[in-house]
Amino acid sequence: MSTAATLTGTGTLLRFLLRRDRIRLPGWTLGLALLMAYFSSAVRTVFAAPEDLESFRGYLDSPAGALFGGPSFGESELTVERFIAGEYLLTLLVAAGLMGLLTVTRHTRAEERAGRAELVRAGVVGRSAQLTAALALTAAMSLAVAALIAAVLLRSGFDAAGSVLFGASVGAVGLVFAGVGAVAVQLSAYPRAGSATAGAVLGAAFVLRALGDAASTQGGGLSRLSWASPLGWSQQTAPYVHDRWWPLGLSLAFTAASVALAYRLAGRRDLDAGLIPPRPGRAHAPGWLRDPLTLAFRLQRASLLGWTLALLVAGAAYGAFTRPLVEGFADAPADVLALLGGAANLLRGYLGLMGLTMALLVSVFAVLAVQAVRAEETSGRAEPVLATAVGRTAWLGGHLAVAALAVPWLLLVAGLATGAGAALSADDPGLVLDTALGHLAHTPAVWFVLAVSALLYGAVPGALPAAWALPAYGLVTGYFGDLLGLPEAAAALSPFAHTCQYPLEPVNPPALAVLLALAAALTLAALRAFRARDLRTTA
Amino acid sequence: MTPAIDVRGLRKSFGKATALDGLDLSVRPGHVHGFLGPNGAGKSTTIRVLLGVLRADAGHVRLLGGDPWADAVALHRRLAYVPGDVELWPNLSGGEAIDLLSRLRGGADAARRDELCQRFDLDPTKKGRTYSKGNRQKVALVAALAADVDLLILDEPTSGLDPLMEAVFQECIREAKAAGRTVLLSSHILAQVETLADEVSIIRHGRVVETGTLADLRHLTRTTVAATTERDASGLAALPGVHGFRMEDGEVRFDVDGAHLDAAVRGLGALGVRALTARPPTLEQLLLRHYGDELAGVPEGAAP
Repeated sequence: MSTAATLTGTGTLLRFLLRRDRIRLPGWTLGLALLMAYFSSAVRTVFAAPEDLESFRGYLDSPAGALFGGPSFGESELTVERFIAGEYLLTLLVAAGLMGLLTVTRHTRAEERAGRAELVRAGVVGRSAQLTAALALTAAMSLAVAALIAAVLLRSGFDAAGSVLFGASVGAVGLVFAGVGAVAVQLSAYPRAGSATAGAVLGAAFVLRALGDAASTQGGGLSRLSWASPLGWSQQTAPYVHDRWWPLGLSLAFTAASVALAYRLAGRRDLDAGLIPPRPGRAHAPGWLRDPLTLAFRLQRASLLGWTLALLVAGAAYGAFTRPLVEGFADAPADVLALLGGAANLLRGYLGLMGLTMALLVSVFAVLAVQAVRAEETSGRAEPVLATAVGRTAWLGGHLAVAALAVPWLLLVAGLATGAGAALSADDPGLVLDTALGHLAHTPAVWFVLAVSALLYGAVPGALPAAWALPAYGLVTGYFGDLLGLPEAAAALSPFAHTCQYPLEPVNPPALAVLLALAAALTLAALRAFRARDLRTTA
Repeated sequence: MTPAIDVRGLRKSFGKATALDGLDLSVRPGHVHGFLGPNGAGKSTTIRVLLGVLRADAGHVRLLGGDPWADAVALHRRLAYVPGDVELWPNLSGGEAIDLLSRLRGGADAARRDELCQRFDLDPTKKGRTYSKGNRQKVALVAALAADVDLLILDEPTSGLDPLMEAVFQECIREAKAAGRTVLLSSHILAQVETLADEVSIIRHGRVVETGTLADLRHLTRTTVAATTERDASGLAALPGVHGFRMEDGEVRFDVDGAHLDAAVRGLGALGVRALTARPPTLEQLLLRHYGDELAGVPEGAAP
């Protein structure tokens, strides 16, 4: 087949992809533009006076600021647009990276796995047409994101050259991770493995630049690490400071190389096959796999392992930065200090806030665990199990019990890791136990989230996504409640408001008991509701 | 003898759509009962009510003498089920899924399980996501057939199997019957039902329109007769119950209603028969008789 022939049908496919993504595409591009508009207007409102901004200077130049934001370019004067580029560019870069890799996976490997690609390729369609169309679509989305973000910034009245470069830096990450995704989906036959591999590359890019940027504030040689990260390239353009375009050359070269590699790999494999062959499993089930509880554990095991490792790494990393963070925050404005319990309690305040952060993350796990239960039902895998001598209560109860046990486990892992990192960093061994206890104290709040999710699933499974409101509300009230001047009563609606941020605040046993009782009652109601309703299957 | 499955006046709606509209079904113990009907007629919904996965809106439903909704767990120890669309856990091997389903039911004969894996030519070490539709079905079949139960509920169990495996399946069902098991076999492979089923129920728009042994059902429909006679047979055309009468090259052909077969054969006999073939209606003809009007469109307001 000539090169031209392998591309036959690309145009038609691209139009079809645009039609398929008629909701998703504007969702991503306009969503990112809206996020940009929100950052821009919020920062301009909050920092109306220049001295408000200057008070953030010390924080931005500290390792903490570099870790969560990006490199500092030693700018002489801090402006609103420079602050936005320093603090919020990173969020947009990560989002654009996700957009790139998810879009490519969706239109390549996921289509193959679903068997639809075979149907398409049996038509007058070249071998490379599907990959090319998917990449073209992602490139178009990245361009649109770049243009929209530049437009938003220009409308805010920021410098034109910097605004266009800002947009281009975001778009470039979309391109890079389209390339990464295109390579990753060639390796394994499963779309999830493909997006997980590409997602791991995005995570590594984030960590590399975090270490590099934090090191650069101390003048360390590790600052070169930022240049090993595609996210770093887009940050090194330094919009509104140096306005340099050439780091994006690295992004384009990397994209070209990864796309070329993807085509080579794609040419060497069969449709719906991976380059990494699937491993055979056991011929017999292990002896312990024998009831609803062990089945639930077996199904959640991989996810539990992933969460344990992720919280271990995140806890240790954030814990290890305790001392530089606390020193960095010492210069932060009073509002931010208040969030951490005031200048005198900074260390305890930081560890307490980490406990809340980890509890919010573990509550995300809890909602996802109930969503996985729902997927068991809608996929039709629950039906054969419920057609054996397993009752509804035992089935759902088994899944909920595993998730409920996982909650204190994950909090303990996160707390011990954060505590160990903090103890090493601040040279105070007593922090290990304090931090672990502070994390564990959030267990009743996360159980409450789990119980609400379970009740939604048991009674109105379609409404399960509403459970996300709890972690989201907990995040807003926990982080910004004081800054936004939220009334006490509104903040009290969040279960996380009652578990307290130990070691900053003392633990409140009556509040924990009430949360436990509520969680237990909601779980019983969930089991009853599930027992009384029809099973929902797609067939 | 109490029926293994006894359903009377079963109704079930999903929102405005009526799936089951007064369904009656009776399955005798130790018999293989064919459950026939096109897609969307309500076969799977009936089975899901029998499994206690869906709750009946109205009607009387007894399964092995119990209430399938209230006594689900106790009843499920005595039955095994193969769904029409088998979904397996992507990261569990087929062997793990078989063992798990067997243990959740209360255990199965390990030797029989291995023997069935061999007979169905199933590799139990492959992960669930790598199996084809046919192989996923084999996993569910092995798990069900290895179980020592009173009742097998099979919902189009072989729609993904090749003819070789179909033969193995039929053998297994005969063995199950010989072991005294009751089988409810939903299918639209007519040859399968014709070979295996003692009785058949035909379902349409959520109700059973015909039920009985194949012989009973055949009696209700027309037999196709072809004969060569010594004397002119044109007088037969006027007999009651004779349809589509025609004569070609001295051979007479007609269809005759089951109730009038006797009279038509007597009439032929009086004319001096030289050659005679009589074909009973196939199950296909039976079905087409009940569904023929569907080709011309479903009536207004009928169930999907």
